[in-house]
Amino acid sequence: MTMSSTLNIQNLTVSLRSGLPLLGQVNLTLEPGEVRALVGESGAGKSMIGKAVLGTLPPAARVSGGQIFLRGQALDRLNAAQRRHCVAQSAALIPQDPLTALNPVRRIAPQITDPLTRIHGWSTERAQARALDLLERVEIRDPARVMRSYPHELSGGMRQRILIAAAFAPSPPLIVADEPTTALDVTVQKQILKLIRELQKEVGTAVLFVTHDMGVVAKISQKVSVLFQGRVMEDATTEAIFTNPTHPYTRALIAATPSYADPSRSFSPVPAELIAQMKSEIAKEEVW
Amino acid sequence: MADVSLQTTPRARSGRRNLRLWLPLAWISTLVLAAVLAPLIAPHDPLYQDLFLERLPPFFMAGTEPGYWLGTDSLGRDVLSRVIYGTRIALCVSLIAATATCLVGSTLGLLAGFFGGWWDRVISRLIEIWMAFPPVLFAVLLVAVMGTGLTSVIVAIALIDWTRFARVIRAETMVQAQMDYVDSAQIGGARRLTTLVSEILPNVLPSIVALLMLEMGIAVIVEAILSFVNLSLSSDVATWGSMIAEGRNAIHFAWWVLLFPLIALFLTVLSFSQLGEGLKQRFDPVLQ
Repeated sequence: MTMSSTLNIQNLTVSLRSGLPLLGQVNLTLEPGEVRALVGESGAGKSMIGKAVLGTLPPAARVSGGQIFLRGQALDRLNAAQRRHCVAQSAALIPQDPLTALNPVRRIAPQITDPLTRIHGWSTERAQARALDLLERVEIRDPARVMRSYPHELSGGMRQRILIAAAFAPSPPLIVADEPTTALDVTVQKQILKLIRELQKEVGTAVLFVTHDMGVVAKISQKVSVLFQGRVMEDATTEAIFTNPTHPYTRALIAATPSYADPSRSFSPVPAELIAQMKSEIAKEEVW
Repeated sequence: MADVSLQTTPRARSGRRNLRLWLPLAWISTLVLAAVLAPLIAPHDPLYQDLFLERLPPFFMAGTEPGYWLGTDSLGRDVLSRVIYGTRIALCVSLIAATATCLVGSTLGLLAGFFGGWWDRVISRLIEIWMAFPPVLFAVLLVAVMGTGLTSVIVAIALIDWTRFARVIRAETMVQAQMDYVDSAQIGGARRLTTLVSEILPNVLPSIVALLMLEMGIAVIVEAILSFVNLSLSSDVATWGSMIAEGRNAIHFAWWVLLFPLIALFLTVLSFSQLGEGLKQRFDPVLQ
């Protein structure tokens, strides 16, 4: 079972070097071609899971327990270079902020094709053709010109679409999408979500979709992990989460989401008593 | 109306920028020409002493001798010829010493800023210790130990001033290292050193160029200071520093001996620093 999963995270604990825990005992699996949403408030540790998988945790944080299997390969058994190679072969990232995720002094073309030629051993021509193909696929007009452009010559929405093209270019088994629509305005958000969903189906990639937006969750994912303070509160199918949420926090999160379909429906913030109660439960656990 | 003002503003700005680039470039080209063609264009032998022609005033004053445009010094040597020959030493020192300084300082700055940890601790302590020495005294000491001569002067400048590069480049590298594109490169399978050289270095390059130009100006000054205290080159070579030192003795009755090398020095240092800023703006696609 472990071998067939694209991603299998077991009891993952990430903490600051000072000892403060950021993630506690996180378990989740991602089957091939599956989309799993990670939801929670800001600071819940959603992005940390993606970063722990990709090996880009900030210098102050480290994995202090548990295991990550990427296509059956235990990442903690590899040295830094092997790990980097393993991740580069199987995974890609759609980052949160399109404005800083592209190198400002390099043209677009090498930023898409570098991993293809470096890790996947493609010829430059093949990588270029693939990049052009995908840029067209993400609805970029005149992709040949865009390939020669510098990032600052392009709009934020265009840059995010380029990053999506770059992530899908090697057809990786896993893509971590770290709030890919948060930095964009609402009209562009819809387009971007549609693109990610289409490409995901085409390529058959499994996606770990980090978001705080329950509306997005409903649109894109089959499974959901609800996080609070670095812990998984509930892990279920998207359908179950919306029709029959078991954890009171999940119910509160759904209630806190304004509805696109029915703007008149009232929404309420997560109650403070609930948060206080959950915090005290986590604190009790940590004493142990 | 609005169209017109929108169009002219960037033009006017780029015009000012160009002036900042071309004016210093013109002065430095003149210096290079003067250095190369010195034997052809200098009206006299810079070392030839004629005690009958001592302290002749420059051309715009009474009592001049034809052919001695900028007058003569206390030993009857032609000031113009000495200034022209002085450009050879000035340019030679600024070019070689500044490049050496730049290579040492930038490399250490990049390593400390990117790899952090022990690299950073060792290099940062080294910078702090280094900067606790008074620089001019340090230079004088070094040249005194190594003996006078062009090589000693160049080595002394590189050994004193590398901290200027190391500090600035370290800080800039640290800023760049936190950018998302560095993570993206790593997820794309780039090795650490590759990331430093092909992703971060191009972003830091404009600052390196600006500092290099500034350093060329500073190298000219340091050489002049060492000449001033007679620690640069033997007195049978004309340098701006030694001219200023000799002119100092006669400042009350032959101020021109001091003034003309001083003007040359001033314009050169100013040109280098302005050229550095101009190039930085031109190099950096983000600033354009």
